[in-house]
Amino acid sequence: MAAYTLRKFAQMIVTLFGVVTLVFFAIRLIPGDAAAAMAGDNLSGEAMEAFRAKHGLNDPMLVQFVRYLGKLLQLDLGTTITTSLPVAGLLLKALPVTLTIAVCTVVLTMLIAIPLGTLAAYMANKGKKTLDNLLTWSAMVVDLMPSFWTALLLMLLFSLTLGIFPASGQVSFGDPALLMKRLAMPIIVLSLTQVATLARITRTSVLEVLNEDYVRTARSLGMPELAVVFRHALRNALLPIVTVVGLSFGNLLNGTVIVEFIFSIPGIGTLLVNGINSRDYELVQNLILFYAMVFIVINFLTDLVYKKFDPRVRL
Amino acid sequence: MKGAFESASAGKVTAGLGRVRVRLPLVREMGGNRKIWAALAILGPILLLVLAAPFLSLPPPLETDVRSSLEPPSLKHPFGTDKLGRDVLSRTLAGFKVSLVVAFSVALISLAFGITFGTLAGFLGRRVDQIIMAVTDLFLAFPSLLLAIGLVAIVGAGTVPVILAIALADVPRFIRLQRSLAFSLRSRAFIDAARTVQASKWWIMRRHVIPNTIAPLLVAASIAAANAILIEASLSFLGLGITPPAPSLGNIIRDGQIYLQEAWWISGLPGLVILLVAISLHFLSDGIREALDPKARK
Repeated sequence: MAAYTLRKFAQMIVTLFGVVTLVFFAIRLIPGDAAAAMAGDNLSGEAMEAFRAKHGLNDPMLVQFVRYLGKLLQLDLGTTITTSLPVAGLLLKALPVTLTIAVCTVVLTMLIAIPLGTLAAYMANKGKKTLDNLLTWSAMVVDLMPSFWTALLLMLLFSLTLGIFPASGQVSFGDPALLMKRLAMPIIVLSLTQVATLARITRTSVLEVLNEDYVRTARSLGMPELAVVFRHALRNALLPIVTVVGLSFGNLLNGTVIVEFIFSIPGIGTLLVNGINSRDYELVQNLILFYAMVFIVINFLTDLVYKKFDPRVRL
Repeated sequence: MKGAFESASAGKVTAGLGRVRVRLPLVREMGGNRKIWAALAILGPILLLVLAAPFLSLPPPLETDVRSSLEPPSLKHPFGTDKLGRDVLSRTLAGFKVSLVVAFSVALISLAFGITFGTLAGFLGRRVDQIIMAVTDLFLAFPSLLLAIGLVAIVGAGTVPVILAIALADVPRFIRLQRSLAFSLRSRAFIDAARTVQASKWWIMRRHVIPNTIAPLLVAASIAAANAILIEASLSFLGLGITPPAPSLGNIIRDGQIYLQEAWWISGLPGLVILLVAISLHFLSDGIREALDPKARK
């Protein structure tokens, strides 16, 4: 396990380095003047020179790169071009909001999808296809609905018609009840898209396990079918489920950008979209880097969990 | 040498498809598949409408008419009108044309690069494989929409950047798929047979490996097309894709967001079109897979 962890960790570091390199050189290698692209608007000759000097754009590329790496290691993400605020500060302020949405979504998704998928597998195994078919079909439809469209439909229903959850307003961590009410819509929208996939995977993986010998043994010992399914089959089917939760984290990150934008929630996604609209490349570059890092670390952890629960996994 | 192979690979796709008569049962199988017909039954009319849009008696997508602002769906305006009195159906069809161009281009680019580099990595193995896989891993380290957003941030919005941005996320996935397909073919008897008669690696790849991987790639391509439509719409919705006034499904839905309560049709109906098309593309891919793989059939 230790050797595996070490090896995976080394792989992760290599990937992280590659991603940093890619993000750094992306804007500098495209044809045209990187300074002009980064400064955004057409600065005059002198202002452009000042901008170059300030951001060290006159130095050789490699020097710039090493300097950038050094700053990254000190967690210095630079300052925004338009407002000169530290990017790390903006990120830290937006992070709790996005994190709350992401964590709540994962928990809610698992709470709904795993029992639902298991139940569908149980029904399918008994030959009762109705719930199973219903689940498979609705999972496909929900999966293919554009998430921003789903968000608008739910906004129309819950916020504008029924008035249960607000679709706008302040986000503050002072009052947890108020906070959850404000974040309810984005969490529901994101969970909905994730539930579909996870329930389908749960169903498949439980169904597979239901044909195993030990399940038959449990049955032959007179165990009630529901207990067999939930206690024996589900437990052994959990591994692929955990992996899917980890792998779908990328989709979740994609989704947070969209729901934050729609429900005007001041998270990292909104920061990113605003950064692009104001052509603040420094900000955008570091935010994309941050998303990629989170994604890479989550994948690393997923690998470890997988290995922990399934000793058969080799390198 | 690599350049020569690349240009050869462009011809290879058609070479593979041109030999369909050898596998006639496949075409018959696909013709008898209900899912494929269901997909075509939805896609066909929509495609016809998109192509026929200029000849229908619909107002042009950009024509404003303040007197008929926010009108609900009617015979005159089947999808209603938006704030500026523009016909939503006309805009949806124009937007969908952009979606189609994006989806088709992304699928083609992904196929071309996926086949080229995937075959090289899977069939040649060793050093070539390591290098190609290292590069794809790098791109797979970004969540797809965020990779697209990053590229648009550098290059700017517009149809071509959107196509490149979406393809950038898809190409590594196609390379991986083609690599595993080519890898599994490597030890098959007919490849060994070709080797024993001293056939060159390039000839084997062109003649045996690629034609045998076309089918699963087509399945993946139709899913990639559906995803491309969804991502283009997401980008345009965020204001990072096709920029107004040019209509795209994403920016029409975005425009409708403010009038959600009094005019649900502006956002609602174009979204429904996206959903229908995405579902039918998935049916298409399911259908192709079932036709190809007897085990997948019920």
